[in-house]
Amino acid sequence: MPKLTVDGIELEVPQGATVLQACELAGKEIPRFCYHERLSIAGNCRMCLVEVKPGPPKPQASCALPAAEGQEIRTDSEMVRKAREGVMEFLLINHPLDCPICDQGGECDLQDQSVAYGRGSSRYHEPKRAVTEKYMGPLIKTVMTRCIQCTRCVRFSEEIAGVDEIGALYRGENMQITTYLERAATHELSANVIDLCPVGALTSRPYAFEARPWELKKTLGIDVSDAVGANIRIDSRGREVLRALPRINDDVNEEWISDKARYQVDGLTKRRLDKVWIRNKAGKLEAASWDEAFKVIAKAKPGKSVAAIAGDLVDCETMFAAKALLRAMGSKLLEGRQTGMDYDVSSLAAVNFNSGLAGIETADAILIVGSHVRWEAPLVNARLRKAAKNGAKLFIVGPEWETTFPATFLGADVAVLDKLPAEVAAAMEGAERPAIILGGAGLARGALGPLLALAANWKLVRDGWNGFNVLHMAASRMGGLMLGYAQKGGIADIVKAKPAVLLALGADEVDYDQFAGSLKVYIGHHGDKGAHAADIILPAAAYTEKDGTYVNTEGRVQFAEKAVFAPGDAREDWTILRALADALKVDVGFDSFDELQALIVADVPALGVEGLADYGALPAGGGSASGEIAYPIKDFYLTNPIARASAVMQRCSAELLHGEDLAEAAE
Amino acid sequence: MTAVRISDDALALACGADALAAAFEAAGCTVERASSWGMHWLEPLVEIDGMGFGPATPEDVDAILSGKSAKAIGPIATHPFIAGQQRLTFARAGRTRALSLEDYERTGGWAGLERARRIGPEHVLDEVARSGLRGRGGAGFPAGVKWRTVAKAPGARKFIVCNADEGDSGTFADRMLMEGDPLQLIEGMAIAAHAVGAAQGYIYIRSEYPHAIRKLRDALKLCADIIAPFNIDVRVGAGAYVCGEETSLLNSLEGKRGEVRGKPPLPALQGLFGCPTVVNNVLTLAAVPHILAEGGAQDYEARGAGRSKGTMPIQLAGNIRHGGLYETPFGVTLNQLIFEIGGGTASGRPVKAVQVGGPLGAYLHPGQFDIPFDYEAYAAADALIGHGGITVFDDTADMAAMARFAMEFCAVESCGKCTPCRIGSVRGQEIIDRILSGGRQADAVELLPQMHNARLAERSQAEEVQLLEELCAVMKDASLCALGGFTPYPVMSALRHWPADFGLSAR
Repeated sequence: MPKLTVDGIELEVPQGATVLQACELAGKEIPRFCYHERLSIAGNCRMCLVEVKPGPPKPQASCALPAAEGQEIRTDSEMVRKAREGVMEFLLINHPLDCPICDQGGECDLQDQSVAYGRGSSRYHEPKRAVTEKYMGPLIKTVMTRCIQCTRCVRFSEEIAGVDEIGALYRGENMQITTYLERAATHELSANVIDLCPVGALTSRPYAFEARPWELKKTLGIDVSDAVGANIRIDSRGREVLRALPRINDDVNEEWISDKARYQVDGLTKRRLDKVWIRNKAGKLEAASWDEAFKVIAKAKPGKSVAAIAGDLVDCETMFAAKALLRAMGSKLLEGRQTGMDYDVSSLAAVNFNSGLAGIETADAILIVGSHVRWEAPLVNARLRKAAKNGAKLFIVGPEWETTFPATFLGADVAVLDKLPAEVAAAMEGAERPAIILGGAGLARGALGPLLALAANWKLVRDGWNGFNVLHMAASRMGGLMLGYAQKGGIADIVKAKPAVLLALGADEVDYDQFAGSLKVYIGHHGDKGAHAADIILPAAAYTEKDGTYVNTEGRVQFAEKAVFAPGDAREDWTILRALADALKVDVGFDSFDELQALIVADVPALGVEGLADYGALPAGGGSASGEIAYPIKDFYLTNPIARASAVMQRCSAELLHGEDLAEAAE
Repeated sequence: MTAVRISDDALALACGADALAAAFEAAGCTVERASSWGMHWLEPLVEIDGMGFGPATPEDVDAILSGKSAKAIGPIATHPFIAGQQRLTFARAGRTRALSLEDYERTGGWAGLERARRIGPEHVLDEVARSGLRGRGGAGFPAGVKWRTVAKAPGARKFIVCNADEGDSGTFADRMLMEGDPLQLIEGMAIAAHAVGAAQGYIYIRSEYPHAIRKLRDALKLCADIIAPFNIDVRVGAGAYVCGEETSLLNSLEGKRGEVRGKPPLPALQGLFGCPTVVNNVLTLAAVPHILAEGGAQDYEARGAGRSKGTMPIQLAGNIRHGGLYETPFGVTLNQLIFEIGGGTASGRPVKAVQVGGPLGAYLHPGQFDIPFDYEAYAAADALIGHGGITVFDDTADMAAMARFAMEFCAVESCGKCTPCRIGSVRGQEIIDRILSGGRQADAVELLPQMHNARLAERSQAEEVQLLEELCAVMKDASLCALGGFTPYPVMSALRHWPADFGLSAR
């Protein structure tokens, strides 16, 4: 723990800290462009200069200099100020003065720092250097003349994403940042470079010229595009969500989000259900009133014969409100695994990501069974890459996909679990922190039991470590399981029960042909598969339009806030279910959102506390499994009704996955 | 049959040594192609029984053989240019054939390596440290300290990298050594490998040295068994000056963009492929066999001045009458080098300036020619020794143009990584242009009537000079590596000593 002084303030900094970090600990702001906590140190912008004694009598780049015992650091001396002003003047020589038409305006590092270190006007009058635009795909808009060559985007794509998509061409002042051959960036995390770019060189293409940051209302939300539960900030203006940005949460998403989480939000205004619809005798949907719809449902007189199926995006409050309604009517027919999976949920520890998302980075041997991690949870994939960089060995059972880390594929059939190659067993047995990641496709092939047995063999649970992980894909999954949305036989049990009324809570992946005899009431927000099959459509709120609780795949309970109102006649889901209770003449025991939440906590106390839920000990497993693994996600960009309605996601799918060449309109 | 020795050094070849050798063969002589003595104004130099004739052409063959040539210079070994030197690194120059193991062994070759193996790595490190050998690439970092750091660094794999990307203007010592005595370099690398525990070495050589590349590769084949289990590969650069900077060199070796890495981590701890790596210049490594020979360290340490120990192969080039390689202990002055040894300018005109240390070295004014040639004394005078290249200019040189060239060179060769070098070099050229045109004039747009309320951007020449000084200060203080950090030296020294060339009155 070196002791040093910063501007006369004495402090002790952690071993291995840089001078820049020491200055920050002392409360001094150090201007920087290239330095970023989560990327390697490049030391090229030369903005973070400080004066350090002992050392050469010139300013030092604090980002690259290790803090050492007895250093005297000055961030406020004349030498430091002059040097920073000099570098700032250099940067502004070539940077265009187009802030009024630049989307970075208002949240631009260069703009902010030029206030502190810039001159009123330039002393360099020769022409500025200009750079031609580089195409980086449908998500990233480039104005490369603004680039200050900090190389954060290059380092992100190399280090975090693990794909060499972005790099530099030419040398000296001709250096230009570009994607390889100006192809679109295709990585699932590619748009994070927009946040990383300290200037307006890389900005958001779908959000171009939409709003200034100070016009936006910022709401703290949780992403529902996968089961990671990335912390997001929802920026809205009026009734429209304009963009989603990552929030920093080291335990969950660090400071990244997937491109889908970021860009599906334009789907929130498209294909929306904003009216009540009832299917008439001719089989056509007709607009109706809430009263009419409730009457039709009441007329079905379901009695106990009612079931609820939860979709992938719903919050715990919605699921609990439906559960309360069913309980009042005497039914327990709840299911959330829409596609028919029926794995054992008697212990939730067995279906949880026990090592934690951050913990998986520290694993040193990982067996992945039936998960296309890159598409099912891109943020977990970034963690796996870190683990691999730290020396972890990775093995994958399932059809091959393009990993961003060295991994050995063991075949597509789960039967291989019975006869794993010796090197796998040796690596897992010899590891200090061995881990298994079981994906949805593996669960569907019955790999849970055999893997629990392997977990016991390899002692995956040991002091301070539980390496048994299930990686879900649905944001609602863990919350649903905690609320009892699981039948022993899966959805087949519901089909068998032939419910008179089926409540579909945003469930768009169900095969509704199985419920031909039921009155299908779809409570959701998008005109997708569920609405097409429904007899009655009750318009509800999407994730940005309601307060709600979500539990991610590691059992982390997180609250999200409401950013905007739902459109048209759409209402928050719980209010619909509450009104339906009146129509069906039962008492659900809550009249307000607070009462509803109190009931949830009474029912499942863990849902009232933000943070990791405790699911107890890992159960024993056994048995064997066989069958070819088939990953459920066929198109990363179109996995949920919001994304399918999003023009941006459709374009990504067409261009990035299906190789369509989309003509660019001249701007 | 007369035995004739003619150099096959690239410089001699460029001066027609091949044709000369063919002419001697046609005249019935046996021609032996040896290394160059380093007396470049005499190349191609013909040696017959220790007597020299040069610069010789095929027309001179008959006269030389009949002993009537006017180009006779007498015995070469006692020629003043040679006799005044203390050749350690270049002890074999002119005396042996580059690719003859026999010649090499006869002249004390492999003695250093054998002794190193006998006394063990720890003693080798001690001897290198005791010799006071400092990096000859320009930075002058003590080789013993660097080697010990690598030797102590944890790591299963370690590397020896020889920096043979000799890109400084007016330098040729690396090339001469690699072409004339490649085995000595290889022996030096083998000793380094033995000392730090490396199994693999690389020689990173610039593609502009085809003869040296070929000779190194041939030499490595010859002595593979002798240096085994150590192995050396030759890697050819692609012409970037900045790849002579050690971290860019490592990036280039790894197949990456030739861009400077930030330090720390030091290459000694995390160098090539992230492993501890010794990166040394050709001359540093080639000095090692002598140091490791019996008593070599003391001998080396006894020479030199101040903290600059041993000898420095100084390269005399540019507008100089007797250009060539002059190896001498540190402490010699430019007055001695240029006037006594070099014989003044080749053009016969007065010396105006001397640039020491390549394109980034300061221009020294004749008033500074008494500074002793050592690292510290030069640093104190805002100059640098660099790789020991000396380029002489006569009074026709336009120092403002030379200053502009320094900026232009940096603009062309900058890797583009750090802001000060990338932007400062280009804008520095423009400011020098402005100064030369007497300050900036308002352009057509600024003179429009609509611009009446805008401040006109005309500035005086003095203001432009101040701007240039401030630009140089930012480059010097804030650049990531020496390319941007040292470009201001030639510029500022030219401005300081020859203001008249910039159209300024004396300051």
